[in-house]
Amino acid sequence: MTRARVAAAMAGIITALLLQATLIGPVTAPVPVCLPAVVVAAVALVDGPATGMSFGFAAGLVADLGSPHAAGILALCWLGVGLVCGKFAQRRTVRRDALWAGIVSGLASSVAALLLVLVHRGGTAADAIVYLVPAIGADVVLALGAVALLRRMLHSEPLRAPHPVFTELAVGPHRG
Amino acid sequence: MRRLTRRQRVAAIVLAVVALCFITLDLGGGALRDTHTGVRGALGSLYRGTDAVLGPARRWLQGVPSAGTNTSRIEQLRQDNARLRGRIAALESDQRTTGQLAKLQRAADGTGHQLLAARVIAYGPGQGFDWTVTLDVGTRSGVRAGQTVTDGAGLVGRVLHADSDSSVVLLAADPGSGVGVRDVRSGELGVANGQGVDGFSFLPLRPDARVRVGDQLETGPTGASSYVAGLAVGTVSAVRTSADGTVRATVTPTTSPTAVDLVAVIVDGAAGVAERAPLTPAGHR
Repeated sequence: MTRARVAAAMAGIITALLLQATLIGPVTAPVPVCLPAVVVAAVALVDGPATGMSFGFAAGLVADLGSPHAAGILALCWLGVGLVCGKFAQRRTVRRDALWAGIVSGLASSVAALLLVLVHRGGTAADAIVYLVPAIGADVVLALGAVALLRRMLHSEPLRAPHPVFTELAVGPHRG
Repeated sequence: MRRLTRRQRVAAIVLAVVALCFITLDLGGGALRDTHTGVRGALGSLYRGTDAVLGPARRWLQGVPSAGTNTSRIEQLRQDNARLRGRIAALESDQRTTGQLAKLQRAADGTGHQLLAARVIAYGPGQGFDWTVTLDVGTRSGVRAGQTVTDGAGLVGRVLHADSDSSVVLLAADPGSGVGVRDVRSGELGVANGQGVDGFSFLPLRPDARVRVGDQLETGPTGASSYVAGLAVGTVSAVRTSADGTVRATVTPTTSPTAVDLVAVIVDGAAGVAERAPLTPAGHR
């Protein structure tokens, strides 16, 4: 991983958290729309599961430590977002990737809400279920912009992955 | 669907375990308390800086869904405000009424006249050509044509005609009417002619009478006035002597003809006769 990618990842995490706390969260309350999760999903869709997992874990941990709830909850959820999106990424159209990113991040938000209910940090399980569909819808809208932007950024020369991701190679079955 | 390499699977498991360890550590005790504090402080500073830039946009976006609601709320608050202002005005009016009633009571006690309290329910000047007001009392209450009407402080007018439940009062300030008056200081008799909003014009019966600014005028004695005697009419505010020596004075009325509300009809004084009635307190309705 190059220094530029590390710096870009840190900047991306901080920017997403700041936008979430000062703009997205207040405007969309009480629907748990989550820009950082969408960004994690978008990164994973472009760069694969390895980058997605590490980016999701790091972003989640910073968000956890900056929140009153127990550290590790968002790290675990967004790790899952990076893993799932990276694993199921098809690199098709922006719209399809945005839909996928929105669905996964919306589900992750509901799982995080349920985990917070489990550790008695406010909210109700009913809220996590009631707001699931609106959260997915809003996340898809956010992902439309995030996926297009991150695709362009991560395909630029300074931020391009140093080695091709092994799992991207389409290896067909050998024929006798 | 992409396949995870072995290293990726191991990394995923390790990160998940680390996350679970964090959760356990944080829930079990305050092991990460200082880390929370540090990160929250750093992010808090960044939030403040970001909010300074994005705050206006956020507030605008937050106001969009409630824009219609705010309009209706503003309208509702306007209506509430108007209603409360009306209530205040009504309370002030009630306060004035209380003061006037007390004044009327004192007047009744002092003069011994039988007073019938009444409220002005309509004004004539805005609708007709004569200076009249309509009261909410009529012949059923003992009101008769010619009776004098006062507001407790001074002369208002006299009853022009009375129906069963209302009566019309010709204001003393009516430009076509005259009131027999007496200068309290000098005792000179004269006629105060109504001048509308300007009050009265006083013309003494004796042309060379000495009238001064500040002289008080009151309704004249029996026979000299068609009103009950002794009611204040006004105060001389200017005196003019013509070339032939005739004195004419401008009189500021004691009672404003355009601001009467609660009045009293002196029911024991027949038209043109100022009776010396027994000293009975007022018979308010």
